[in-house]
Amino acid sequence: MSLDLPQILPQIDAMGQSLARRAEALAQKLPAALQELQAMGLADRQALLERVKRAGDNWSGASPTEEPSHQTFPPPTHPPELHVLAADGSQIYPDRHAASFYFLINVGGIHIHHGSGRTPETSSAPRLFFEEEDLYLDDGSSITSEFINGMRDAAEMGELARMAEACAGQPTLALLDNGLLLWLTLQVRDQHRKQADRILRQYLEHLDRLKAAAAALAGFVDRPRNANVLALLHLSTLSLEGIQPDNLRTHPFQGLTDRALFAQHLPPGHRSARFSYTSRVYKDFSAAGHEVQFFYLNTGVEDHGPQSGEPQIARVEVPTWVAENPERLGWVHSGILEQCRSTGGFPYALVRAHELAVVGHAERQAVQELLGRALLRHGLQPRISQKALTKRWTGPRRRHRL
Amino acid sequence: MGMDEQEALIGRVTRCSTRGFVGAVHIPKPEVPTFGDFCLAEAQEGRSRVIGVIYDISIQDDELARQMAIAKDPTREQLADTQRARLVPVEYAALAVGYHKDGAYHYTLPPQPPLTMATIHAMSAQEVRDFTERLDFLPLILGAPQIPVDDLLAAALRTAAATRPEEVRRPYLVRAGRACARLLGRDLPRLENLIHSLQP
Repeated sequence: MSLDLPQILPQIDAMGQSLARRAEALAQKLPAALQELQAMGLADRQALLERVKRAGDNWSGASPTEEPSHQTFPPPTHPPELHVLAADGSQIYPDRHAASFYFLINVGGIHIHHGSGRTPETSSAPRLFFEEEDLYLDDGSSITSEFINGMRDAAEMGELARMAEACAGQPTLALLDNGLLLWLTLQVRDQHRKQADRILRQYLEHLDRLKAAAAALAGFVDRPRNANVLALLHLSTLSLEGIQPDNLRTHPFQGLTDRALFAQHLPPGHRSARFSYTSRVYKDFSAAGHEVQFFYLNTGVEDHGPQSGEPQIARVEVPTWVAENPERLGWVHSGILEQCRSTGGFPYALVRAHELAVVGHAERQAVQELLGRALLRHGLQPRISQKALTKRWTGPRRRHRL
Repeated sequence: MGMDEQEALIGRVTRCSTRGFVGAVHIPKPEVPTFGDFCLAEAQEGRSRVIGVIYDISIQDDELARQMAIAKDPTREQLADTQRARLVPVEYAALAVGYHKDGAYHYTLPPQPPLTMATIHAMSAQEVRDFTERLDFLPLILGAPQIPVDDLLAAALRTAAATRPEEVRRPYLVRAGRACARLLGRDLPRLENLIHSLQP
């Protein structure tokens, strides 16, 4: 053991103290923020939109929709039958120290026909990538984890679209364990833009399919750390002339999260008003007819063991074609709550999709071993790097037993 | 593989030794596998078949299963999902009590255990009857460590008796009781308990 625990102990204690101090300071900011939320909800929306416009593309706050910001919405009635679809993905990243250079993407999916009593259908689809064109980007550099994540995100969306097409026209909720944004488009450098755009196009095509199948698509973000609504609150207090980059960067609610704000504001089962994103990040989505909105939802269950009654705030992202359709938005709201009922605040369908997707350490090793044997069969000598080998030397120790 | 054999397939071997084997099946049928049942697992590339008596059936849980068990009222779909769709295998352990090779039954430990993934079949009534005609498998059950030997013995003998016509069941159990008496000669309370469990 090379991590010297006694050395960290005092640091851990200092960390605990510091966190407690910070939490107290932040809690003191909350009442003012709640008051501001109330005031903003009652204020003129046009004036607020004017400010949002003035703040510009680089400002990462939320934009109000026609729903007053301070309003909360109780859960609508759950439909007697609802197809609940969920997809999640997992991967093995390429390892240049391993015997061969490859990567793997595994996507798990579950289709629960709620109200039918039928056994849910599950799927798990692994795919191995090993051809030159899979492993190298256009400029010859090795594929990066950002690209693999992007491909995984597109595959998850594809799995949702596949399942949604099978129950097109019937009430359907399609859940993703994350926001709806394709992060890859934010992370790539210009020289890789063309390849990232190819993945983005696939992703948007899957969104088109979900839209055509009339499924209520929703991205579920547990424990969100965003502060887009708080940024909007701050913006609402500024005069038009006061909207300057410097003023926008620092504000009195700094350090707070939207989650902390809505934990105080949302009764169990209620959702917040919808907001939309202003960030240019979503421009590609808007251009393709998939503008994204979000709301916060208290999925806390009143009667669930030690966490009973504690607010559990999730951020739910929906495309406008769901957000502006009250029936589909209702499926998202009531469907997520129903899925959270027996699992204490995180949707059951997503728990299972993750289980069907996850590639654990043991499975990773099994793939390595099978690959090693395949290499031998085809006359190649599998050999891990000397560095990887020396790490194995210093790994596990054996005990002498009689 | 014929239809009957398909029906009788009760899973595959996951781990084993010459003393016995552990099989797993996704969803058990109500009648198989059950405690005290006789089953067969292929070994030695099909040259022999190990005969096992099932002495333990278990299902592992995980945190999700525990959460669902205490959830207030899980939906019907969630229950069906947990019981049928999730990959939670039902495991059963069988004690080796003999093997079948070259057209004959042998009442001793097999020369080699089955391989991982070997198919496990329930023994047909006729096979159970033929194998249990001789009572030489009793010592292997009685000598097994750390398993509920007496209950297993009684269950296996009741299974064996049930494969016989009504009129010979009692004589068979009486004969088995005598064999047990010889083997358990010095342990009268245990013998009494066993004879008691054999009575219909």
